[in-house]
Amino acid sequence: MPAQFAAKRLGKELQKISNSLPPGIELVSANNLEEWLLDIQVLDNNPLYQNEKYRLKFRFGSSYPIEPPEVIFVKVPDRPIPMHPHIYSNGIICLDLLGTGWSPVQNVESVCMSLQSMLTGNTKDERPPGDEEFVRANRLRPKDIEFYYHDNDV
Amino acid sequence: MPNASQGGPSIIELDYQSLEYIEAVDDTLICPVCKTPFYSPITTPCGHTFCTGCINRALETQRTCPIDRQPINKNRDYRRLPLIIKDQLDRLKVRCPNKGCDHVCSRENLKGHYERRCEFTPVACPEPLCSRLVARRDASPTKGCLHKSVTCEHCHKLVAIAELSIHHDNDCDANEVECPDCKANVVRHRLEKHKSESCPEQQIQCRWHSGGCRVADKRRIVQVHEESGCIFEAVSRLLDQRAEDRTIINDLTSRLANLEAARGRRREDRERRERRTESTLLSTVLPNPASPTSTETPNEPMFPSALSVPHAADTFAWGSPEDYMLARFERLETQMEELRKEMRDMDAHQALTFLHHTTRIGDQIAELASKVGVLNMHTTWLMNMQRQSHAQQRAGSTAGPPSSGLSHASDSSGSRAGSSSSDIRVRHPGGSRRNSDGRGDTLTRL
Repeated sequence: MPAQFAAKRLGKELQKISNSLPPGIELVSANNLEEWLLDIQVLDNNPLYQNEKYRLKFRFGSSYPIEPPEVIFVKVPDRPIPMHPHIYSNGIICLDLLGTGWSPVQNVESVCMSLQSMLTGNTKDERPPGDEEFVRANRLRPKDIEFYYHDNDV
Repeated sequence: MPNASQGGPSIIELDYQSLEYIEAVDDTLICPVCKTPFYSPITTPCGHTFCTGCINRALETQRTCPIDRQPINKNRDYRRLPLIIKDQLDRLKVRCPNKGCDHVCSRENLKGHYERRCEFTPVACPEPLCSRLVARRDASPTKGCLHKSVTCEHCHKLVAIAELSIHHDNDCDANEVECPDCKANVVRHRLEKHKSESCPEQQIQCRWHSGGCRVADKRRIVQVHEESGCIFEAVSRLLDQRAEDRTIINDLTSRLANLEAARGRRREDRERRERRTESTLLSTVLPNPASPTSTETPNEPMFPSALSVPHAADTFAWGSPEDYMLARFERLETQMEELRKEMRDMDAHQALTFLHHTTRIGDQIAELASKVGVLNMHTTWLMNMQRQSHAQQRAGSTAGPPSSGLSHASDSSGSRAGSSSSDIRVRHPGGSRRNSDGRGDTLTRL
């Protein structure tokens, strides 16, 4: 039954975001209820992210929205991985909202908006510490990585 | 899920989270977890509302409110939901989720419709060995199990009874047959329809035969005749038109008769009611405390006539004698209510008049009382003066002639008191005071 619950909730969300999305967020594809692609862009004139769009991949488990979706940036032509001290160069995002800070009242739209504001508020043109090592060694899914949410500034 | 163990036609439980709502639902009535209008909602101690199912599911992983992350107690001390929210949810208009059913009702009534009345609700197949579901209207022991496969009589394939007609139309291998008359290929079980509607070799009459056309031949010939212009067409059309007009006229005539009858009845009723109201008013106005039932007296003759079986003519505009009786009762109730209102007005009026009078009398009494008080004071003062002068005279007679000043004073007081105090002078001072006090009391008591 939980899978059915997830499907119904995702159906509702898809219906809503197909009609309208906040500025700077676009639905790219949602051909099924497991994996959606969305593009986000930063709307103010932060020089780090100007004139760039970034592609997000959402993967939903059967216990969505009780469990958070898996959200990563993906690299395709024209869609780089944004530079941010909490975003690894393989697209994995270190954000408590997507882990322990998740709540079932969050949704795809609210996650996109959080990521938008996370980029907007950033001034550091750098990757997380140990990025190269992490990217080389990591074989875990994002939800299985134990992040330590140490930094509340950015 | 079908529950076969209970026996009888069992049904799939209504799924409130996938209902189609007819109008847009206000955002405040949407559960933040499932994003559908609340179903059986509860409110957390921190004041947030969720569907019971949603919050329980969320609490399995995290024991905090999904909105503000305040801890929620294990024993789930939810608050009672305000009834106004329940009412709002109950009134939402929803469509019956059954395929084929277009019924729209308030959400409150959907359960009853779905479980008891909707003929499209899936129920267990009447065949005990079949575990599949079938629409309620098709579930009868006489029809038997519609999931049982039968052999198609034409192509000898196994097909479920419920799907037989779809099979015949689409995927039956031998579904085409040659029309014996026109040699065209048609779907087998549509052959009769083909013959009566389109086969060019069938014997038919001209479609304007009601106008008098005698042409009757094979369809293709008749069609040519019709297309080249049958002279009876106009006559036939005219006749049809006239028949149509006649039904409309009949309908209008009967409606007019109904309306006139109803109007006559209403006028009679009004006259009767006016007469009754007049007599009722008269008896209400008459002050007759000896007979407390006086207001009911004019009503009494009404009841037997209302309760007697109404004439057929009286009940003409009503669906049934019961409706007629109910209408009569409603009218009586209105009249009673009018009378009650008049009584109340009268009561209020009387109370007001009474209050007005008593206030005036009360004012007068108070005025009199104050006058008596003043008089009382004067009398006491005079008595004292009198007593003093007596005492001085007595002292003067024993201790020689009084001084000129004192005697003058006593003289002047005597002349000022005048004749009013002359009668008091002869009485005992104490007695006169008591007397005046007593008089004051009786006045006050007035």
